Amino acid sequence: MSTWRVLTRKPGRIVGMCIVLFFAVLAIFGPYIYSGPLAVDPDAIYAGPSAQHWLGTDFAGSDVLQEIVIGARYVLETAALAALLTGAIGTAVGLLAGYHRGRTDTALMRLTDFVLTIPGLPLLIVLSTIWSFGKPYEMAIALGVTGWGGVARSVRSQTLSLRERGFLEAARGLGLSNRHVIVKELLPNLAPFVAMNMLLALPAFIGAQVTLFFLGVVPFSSSNWGVMLNQAVFSGGALQSTAALPYLLSPLTCIVLITVGVVLFLDAVDELFNPRLRERS
Amino acid sequence: MTDTAERAAMPPTSADAEVAVRDLTVCFDTDRGEKPAVSHANLTLPAGCITGLVGESGSGKSTLALSLLGAVPPPGRITSGSVTMTGVGEVTSLRGAKLRGVRGGYIGYVFQASQNSLNPLKTVGKQLLDLGRAHDVDDLAGLIRRARELCELMGMDGVRILDSYQHQLSGGMRQRVGIVFALVLNAKVLVLDEPTTALDMLSQAAVLRIIARVHREIGLTTLIVTHDMGVVSELADRLAVMYGGRIVEDGPATDVLQSPSHPYTRALINATARVSGDVTRARALPGRPPDLVSVPTEGCVFRDRCAFAMDVCSEAEPVLGSWSRDRRRACHADAETVTSA
Amino acid sequence: MIEAVGIERTFHGHGPFTGSHVVRALRGVDFTLPAGGAVAFIGESGCGKTTLGRILAGLETYDAGVLRVDGKDVSALSGRRRGELFRSIQMVHQDPYSVLNPTRTVAATLADPLRMVARRDAGGRGGFGGRGRDRGAVDRRARELLELVGLEPDGVLPKYPHQLSGGQRQRVVIARALTVDPRALIADEAVSMIDVSMRLGILSLLRDLRERLGIALVFITHDVATARYLGADGELHVIYRGEVIERGPVDTVIQSPVHPYTQCLLSAIPVLKGLEDPGPDRLEPLGLMDATVDTPGCLFEPRCPFATERCREEHPELLKQSVDGADVEHACFHPQIRHVAAVDLTHA
Repeated sequence: MSTWRVLTRKPGRIVGMCIVLFFAVLAIFGPYIYSGPLAVDPDAIYAGPSAQHWLGTDFAGSDVLQEIVIGARYVLETAALAALLTGAIGTAVGLLAGYHRGRTDTALMRLTDFVLTIPGLPLLIVLSTIWSFGKPYEMAIALGVTGWGGVARSVRSQTLSLRERGFLEAARGLGLSNRHVIVKELLPNLAPFVAMNMLLALPAFIGAQVTLFFLGVVPFSSSNWGVMLNQAVFSGGALQSTAALPYLLSPLTCIVLITVGVVLFLDAVDELFNPRLRERS
Repeated sequence: MTDTAERAAMPPTSADAEVAVRDLTVCFDTDRGEKPAVSHANLTLPAGCITGLVGESGSGKSTLALSLLGAVPPPGRITSGSVTMTGVGEVTSLRGAKLRGVRGGYIGYVFQASQNSLNPLKTVGKQLLDLGRAHDVDDLAGLIRRARELCELMGMDGVRILDSYQHQLSGGMRQRVGIVFALVLNAKVLVLDEPTTALDMLSQAAVLRIIARVHREIGLTTLIVTHDMGVVSELADRLAVMYGGRIVEDGPATDVLQSPSHPYTRALINATARVSGDVTRARALPGRPPDLVSVPTEGCVFRDRCAFAMDVCSEAEPVLGSWSRDRRRACHADAETVTSA
Repeated sequence: MIEAVGIERTFHGHGPFTGSHVVRALRGVDFTLPAGGAVAFIGESGCGKTTLGRILAGLETYDAGVLRVDGKDVSALSGRRRGELFRSIQMVHQDPYSVLNPTRTVAATLADPLRMVARRDAGGRGGFGGRGRDRGAVDRRARELLELVGLEPDGVLPKYPHQLSGGQRQRVVIARALTVDPRALIADEAVSMIDVSMRLGILSLLRDLRERLGIALVFITHDVATARYLGADGELHVIYRGEVIERGPVDTVIQSPVHPYTQCLLSAIPVLKGLEDPGPDRLEPLGLMDATVDTPGCLFEPRCPFATERCREEHPELLKQSVDGADVEHACFHPQIRHVAAVDLTHA
């Protein structure tokens, strides 16, 4: 069964794929669609949805839709980079620990435990006072370096169980090197697991960032989704009146949509990596 | 149903416990449409006999055995034909409570690798009680008594077995426990699917001896499904051979083994490793047995591996017909040609 | 080629319900596998034959005794040298699917060891050709090996393990084992999970490998009949609870077994009614094997129909005896030839 067929076999996957692609496109091309600074319109503060402003306006009269589109890039880029970082570090650590066992395992797992016990959110808040996360990769590094613990633990246990599989023993018996066994034999069997972890990490990291910005971490940029939420709740009184409701709901809806998209698409990942699942009896 | 009520509904003697499979076809839903796992099967399990059903993987033998219980797992379903049992009627038309009553109450099934069908967290006795309750048995004490009797019959300490967990029993014992479960509700027909796979020689011999004993003492009609001809060759009164979802030959066991009239039976016997006889006369079969999707839809399913194949074999499927005394075969080649080769 | 003396292996385990227990899987096994020879081990499950196979293939350690491969004591070698030595002994498992990487095609599975071997050879001889030449040579050799094991290369190379039949998978496993030019193969129940119609094919293949390439065979099985198809000069060793209790040429041990346990095993083989008659002296053991009880005397004594007082107190050692003109060894105080194997009727 070809890759295309795997992806299109179930309608849920197609929907998921479309959503994810849509936001990816938004992230890449968003700032080009709306180039230049945000227009400010003091006459139309917290205006409701209209032909001019599809999603209404914010506290300065800027178009919410414009802000969403521009803001998509930072959020998604950060989340993607962070997911990649945690995936790479976590897999490397977990794989080496599970494969070599013994002292390597103990040492690596102590390190992992340390990382796991770091209180992520408070640490990031503290970090934000000395480090302004102006560029996506800065936030990504902060999130990535503190968040790989869980991946490491689960990759390690997957590795431990794969280790018992006959084909690894056979590969060693043939004299194939450790490097070969890890890269060519273990990794492909771990791939679906790691890929799913990374995909699921995307909405998690989006949530983490948005939370940080919602709590007031700088930099303040009005096209930042988290900041939009912060403004909507604390300045726009979105929880009391309906005026700033579209302003509140827009970033929220985007986050929910992305999560749904990722989860629906996830269904295809296992089949993509595991040729055996592609055959139907 | 209480024990006595069950007995009243069932035939009084084993002499009547005959099972007739008529033109049975069981299809599975696959990516490429509905494919038959069993095709137009005709088989009779005579009362009081042990019948061996021999076939390799993909032959449809397990599916056939399950359809005797009406237990073909989805996406499979019986698309034509019937399974009839004396005293019950057409099993294939039963549903719900009636079907459940037949399962266990009339026909007992021992699963393949019985070692894995016991709940590891409950004792054997507790699972027995669960079984009884599921079948609305009122006299549970009587059920336990019966189970203990069956255990003794099979050379096991009933009291100890009932208090044991699955991991405390050896493979051979677990198999025997499986048989106890199958017979404890007074079934008259016993179906065993690969009863000796994963058992070593001594355990296998012991289990086969016990099956023979139980069959004799209780007066059952028994069907043993296996891929290993050796397993049934000593025990079975009758032998039926399946290939690609079809029954290709059946008859009295000794006759079938001595003078196989179907090329597949013949080839299978020649390909079986034996302790006696000339090793150089053994021949492996070329090719591989077909599976659900690769079974040919026209002509004889065995023709690609058959030493006696002719042109007609690619065009028309041979029908299972009688030849000689009490024997049937499905082959275009002449019976004499095959038996005397 | 392989020489084992007094190999012992004891497992210390804890079951969740049974508490800690000690299992003496092997209690001092010796045997010699000559180059190109064939030795078959038979016994019940739990008798230690699988452990022995794994020790011989270098996959398991042993607690006592000496194991020499090509005359070298393996325990005296460094880890790396040991690995190199054991590479010439390859294992063929019961379940071919579990030893093949499900995410790799047959082509990739064979190419890995072949490329490694090519690199090693290239390094030794000062190198030859670049990557390009390597790939061609690797591909050719893979095809050669597939044909050697009776598979059609084009039909099999692009496939994944789950797309092949059991027999084909086992052949791929053997082909892969051959990529490193082994001098011995350890086949542990190599045909038990394969359909009957294809078993003989694998057995003949193993026999051919012996005859054409001089590869020695250690054949571990519970199906005695299969041991007859490994070619000429095969030996049959019978293991009971970690000890060899009888051994000799395959046909001699099958036709004229001397130890009651061997006789029980052979009696248990089903008889093909109409083609065979049961052996006249068939017998059964009394009761089941209890691996937790250790007696000072003969281990089989609790189940032996012919046991005497002496068997309970003294432990019989292997003794040589001449049976039907062949050299046989057995460990029994009351050896007696009993004809228990089925007798062929078709050639009266």
